[in-house]
Amino acid sequence: MCNKNNSRYRLITKTHHEITSNRFRKFHGKDRVTSTADSLTIYIVNVNKNNMNSVKGILLLLFSFVVAFTLVECKKELILSERVQQLSDAGLKKPVLRFNSEKFRQYVKSTPRNYSVIVMFTALAPSRQCGICRQAHEEFQLVANSWRYSQGYSSKLFFALVDFDEGPDVFQQLRLNSAPVFMHFPAKGKPKKVDTLDIQRVGFAAENIARWVAERTDIQIRVFRPPNYSGLLALVVLLALVVGLLYLRKNNLDFLYNKTTWALGALAFTFAMTSGQMWNHIRGPPFLQKTQAGNIAYIHGSSQGQFIVETYIVAVLNAAVVLGMILMTEAANKRDDVRKRRIYAIIGLGLVAFFFSLSLSIFRSKAHGYPYSFLLK
Amino acid sequence: MSATTLSYRTRGWLRLSIEKQDTLLKMAVLSLAAILSFSCRLFSVLRFESVIHEFDPYFNYRTTKFLAEEGFYNFHNWFDDRAWYPLGRIIGGTIYPGLMVTSAAIYHVLNWLNITIDVRNVCVFLAPLFSSLTTLVTYHLAKELKGPGAGLVAAVMIAIVPGYISRSVAGSYDNEGIAIFCMLLTYYMWIKAVKTGTLFWSTMASLAYFYMVSSWGGYVFLINIIPLHVLTLMVTGRFSHRVYVAYSTLYVIGTILSMQISFVGFQPVSTSEHMGAFGVFGLCQIHAFVDYVRSRLSTSQFEVLFRAVISTVSLTGVLVLVVLTALGKIAPWTGRFYSLLDPSYAKNNIPIIASVSEHQPTAWSSFYFDLQMLVFMFPVGLYFCFTKLTDENIFIILYGVLSIYFAGVMVRLMLVLAPVMCILSGIAVSSLLSTYMKQIDEVKTDKKKAKFEGNYFMRSEIATLFVCMMSVFLVMYTLHCTWVTSEAYSSPSIVLSARGHDGSRIIFDDFREAYYWLRHNTPEDAKVMSWWDYGYQITAMANRTILVDNNTWNNTHISRVGQAMASTEDKAYQIMRELDVDYVLVIFGGLTGYSSDDINKFLWMVRIGGSTEKGAHIKEHDYYTPAGEFRVDKEGSPTLLNCLMYKMCYYRFGQVYTEGGKPPGYDRVRNVEIGNKDFELDVLEEAYTTEHWIVRIYKVKDLPNRGA
Repeated sequence: MCNKNNSRYRLITKTHHEITSNRFRKFHGKDRVTSTADSLTIYIVNVNKNNMNSVKGILLLLFSFVVAFTLVECKKELILSERVQQLSDAGLKKPVLRFNSEKFRQYVKSTPRNYSVIVMFTALAPSRQCGICRQAHEEFQLVANSWRYSQGYSSKLFFALVDFDEGPDVFQQLRLNSAPVFMHFPAKGKPKKVDTLDIQRVGFAAENIARWVAERTDIQIRVFRPPNYSGLLALVVLLALVVGLLYLRKNNLDFLYNKTTWALGALAFTFAMTSGQMWNHIRGPPFLQKTQAGNIAYIHGSSQGQFIVETYIVAVLNAAVVLGMILMTEAANKRDDVRKRRIYAIIGLGLVAFFFSLSLSIFRSKAHGYPYSFLLK
Repeated sequence: MSATTLSYRTRGWLRLSIEKQDTLLKMAVLSLAAILSFSCRLFSVLRFESVIHEFDPYFNYRTTKFLAEEGFYNFHNWFDDRAWYPLGRIIGGTIYPGLMVTSAAIYHVLNWLNITIDVRNVCVFLAPLFSSLTTLVTYHLAKELKGPGAGLVAAVMIAIVPGYISRSVAGSYDNEGIAIFCMLLTYYMWIKAVKTGTLFWSTMASLAYFYMVSSWGGYVFLINIIPLHVLTLMVTGRFSHRVYVAYSTLYVIGTILSMQISFVGFQPVSTSEHMGAFGVFGLCQIHAFVDYVRSRLSTSQFEVLFRAVISTVSLTGVLVLVVLTALGKIAPWTGRFYSLLDPSYAKNNIPIIASVSEHQPTAWSSFYFDLQMLVFMFPVGLYFCFTKLTDENIFIILYGVLSIYFAGVMVRLMLVLAPVMCILSGIAVSSLLSTYMKQIDEVKTDKKKAKFEGNYFMRSEIATLFVCMMSVFLVMYTLHCTWVTSEAYSSPSIVLSARGHDGSRIIFDDFREAYYWLRHNTPEDAKVMSWWDYGYQITAMANRTILVDNNTWNNTHISRVGQAMASTEDKAYQIMRELDVDYVLVIFGGLTGYSSDDINKFLWMVRIGGSTEKGAHIKEHDYYTPAGEFRVDKEGSPTLLNCLMYKMCYYRFGQVYTEGGKPPGYDRVRNVEIGNKDFELDVLEEAYTTEHWIVRIYKVKDLPNRGA
């Protein structure tokens, strides 16, 4: 009920967002230490207790158990350093390790570990037709690569991938029935609820994954996206073309000094801008839209948005009005023959009047409550 | 156009000569335009009263008041202890002082003339005053470009163009209000300097540039477009001694002067935005030198010398570039490079830029909304400029094309586009009209010419029709501008208004009510805690010390306030004791439906609060429901329903009926019944709640007596 729609661009929160988004980024960049060390010791003691209880009274068995246990412990220790070695070797070659169910058990499920593993459970086989998995895989690869080639790379953290077709029993074990899923297996203890990345809310952009990893493992990864060279390539090709063209016509460079070319360029640029092509470029709206009634909407219903086809229409309308004006100017010049000029003048007048009123009525349909119109409703 | 129509009347009116009539008419049109531009910005003063709008203007108002009372040196050394308690803020060196100095000067002059006016009214009416000055400058600028007719049309157009009104209504006391005037003044002086090539006009241009630098950060646009103009003149072979004198003077004096503003400091010689201007300055010297050498040598000698020098220089340049790149000193192919090529790169990839509503790209309807028929007339004006290229036309073409690009990228820069739109449209309209006005007359008067024109019998009719249509367009432009100003750009946002059931206007004046309550009912040294949005307003209106304000220079401090708001009562109490808080102020819209209240901003408080080490325990997802929603009803997260902000906003709200047919405690912004209704406050007591509950003030209780 409060009349706050008045200031279209000047909502009270405007300055607010400016500063706060800044904070927001910082917030996610911060480390949040989640200590799991205490719970681990308790866990092992419990295991020991249980075992002891179960074999109480049978000394021999107890003895043999203790021996076996120590042996196992020793073996595990061995395995641990070995495992780390193996993982690091593999990790150096491939930033994302590919695990089947056996390897998963060996490297991720076995305890103790002194490294965290970020595992992506996914289904990359083409037969699964999981498009989103492919995108997620790329982003995940990006994070892993950034980690692999970062300054602080160590054997504290590994990135791994389990494909459904290579390890379906892992999926069953963890009761996963969808893909992709990102899970963090901490160095100590079992994964908790927050150790699964909430894709619904956070998404799986590389930066978000890195942020989540930083939250869970205390390791900062600066995601490095390789710049998109396609734009640069296009630019270089274009430049080469232009230079080549200039070279071919080096004896006749007048067209560069021809102001009509420049004028046309400036006008085209103006039409592109005033029809909101930059908005399209940044926001990426749909080309056109089907309404619920099944009709096709060419014009967005509110002044907050626009469709691509709509901007083309507007550009054409603007250009038509301007063309009309220019025709009228040309008609007034005293060089041409009279009949031609009269036709110019009449056409120009018609263009201006008609297309001006048309674009006015389009605007009217977008800005609700706009009171003015001309010729057309 | 007026001049040409006038010249056909041979008999004078009031027995004045034709020149005098001409001048009189021009003066009349110009003064009417100036008065119009002043008066159409007064909607908010008439509807509400003479108040200052929004947030930042309150800071500007407060500093102006200080400057007017204490003098410039005290202002320059001002350490403000009313804000950012307990840190304070150095004000003199962290602002553009042009605005404050201007209004303080006006205030003193008026008072010296025994016209008693208070600082607030000077501030409120400064922007309209400067917009009338802008119309005058626009007239002169367009006159230099095309002629007095174009000047008059442009002046009338800029008087009411909504793109400019949006930032200069009465009460919107901000830098942009005077900056547009300064910008156009500098352009005018620059055009004059280029045309005449005299030191006088170049120096005037640098002085105008200094004024611009002192008043707005947007001066960077100016110091880039003038060098660009010079560069274009060089490329097109129009470089002359006039341009050399004009630019060299402007650059040297302007740069030295701009460095006198303490906020700008050494930026003009150290940052990349200013390097273009410096480079063009160097090019100017080289170009002049080459011209000099050429005049002394024969053509063939010069040819040899020129080739040798060019090839050596370019070879060394490439070598240095390669070596530096190989050594890793410069890295040209980074994201920064892309953002230079494509501004949308920054927008898509840097969320800070993306989240600000003013930084949004401009849809076509916004162009139409802010400029109406100028959208069509601007290209026609460009066309006219291209048909008759001169040094100054090249400038206006560059300015037009560049600013239309920037306005397309960012809605806010519509402000820079609006003047050039008016100037080019003025040129177009006046050229078209003067052509066709002549044709209406000529057929009647000049029989000989008509014969020569052959059977162009519809000529006069077409001309009449065209002139009529143009008049209709101009009238519609006026109507459009008035409508837009009245509907969209005239709400002060410190006083809110709404429509009642019967269509009458209801005024909510709760903000000022609360601030004045604070001013009159709390101790002089009381510290008020609120979210930073309201900092400037509280210091300016309530004159009380605040913890954080809109300047937002200290993250940790804001974060501390965010933590207090997001914590439970006892944790918040510790923070409030630590910061010596006496009163807490919250903005609540649940009763009236005012949607930019603190609950809707609350998530930002949580995020900011959690962003520092001390607030690491505050996590955003604790404030969401398991489904990831932000809700204040029964389903809402218990952390939210028990935090300080929630309690302060909804204290006793559970007993209030807000809308017919709904349960008590129905929030009209979120459209839900609130989840936690019956609670008492332990560490706070309600001190004051305004008439419509928009502002609620709580007093922090003292520590309880031992044993009590």
